[in-house]
Amino acid sequence: MTTVLAPVEGAAVGLAAVPDPVFSAGMVGPGTAIDPLRGPGKAVAPIAGKIMKLHPHAYVIVGDDGKGVLVHLGIDTVQLKGKGFQLLAAEGDRVSAGQPVVSWDPAAIEAGGRSPVCPVVALDAVAGAVTDVARGAVHAGDELFRWT
Amino acid sequence: MGERKATVAAEVGLHARPAATFVQTAMKAPMDISVAKVTGGQRVNGKSILQIMALDVRQGETIVITAEGEGAEEVLDQLASIASTP
Repeated sequence: MTTVLAPVEGAAVGLAAVPDPVFSAGMVGPGTAIDPLRGPGKAVAPIAGKIMKLHPHAYVIVGDDGKGVLVHLGIDTVQLKGKGFQLLAAEGDRVSAGQPVVSWDPAAIEAGGRSPVCPVVALDAVAGAVTDVARGAVHAGDELFRWT
Repeated sequence: MGERKATVAAEVGLHARPAATFVQTAMKAPMDISVAKVTGGQRVNGKSILQIMALDVRQGETIVITAEGEGAEEVLDQLASIASTP
């Protein structure tokens, strides 16, 4: 069982609230999404493991058991080409759960006309594998869901 | 064994959205699907979004998709079309 932590502070709103059909339909995988607190903040690792993929706007951490969790910072934020994001770790780094990975400002993303909502997705998981999904206010590092 | 080459056209490469669409389609196929870069290197499971993301295919890179068995040609056509959609 993997406990997945909230990567950012905000409100857990569920994937259905993500304004992108690929995420909201669960096509990327099951999980939830966080509507982040507006203002500068740090997005942290949701699990302990290796940073398999690190883009400014998204990252994947893979745990020792091979489970991968995707954190996507805002929607269509790839278009920003890294502007407004600062990397606090490097691809291939080992991180502990809760360790800062990217600093960003959801308010700036929103001011640019994009949704800052953050999908947090269990990759290659079946829908029933994700349980105990938090709803409402979460702090970065709080338990967000469990993956069995 | 059936094979298709496709040049990835999406700006993000074969990540988030294109990767999800690709894997969803691959999952529906009864046979194994594998994907590699045309330049060589690791060959990954086309039904795993984690492995597809790990392959890290960028815009403009060409992949080779492989499948074998009844209906493979049709599946390969669909997957190649997804990969080459901007």
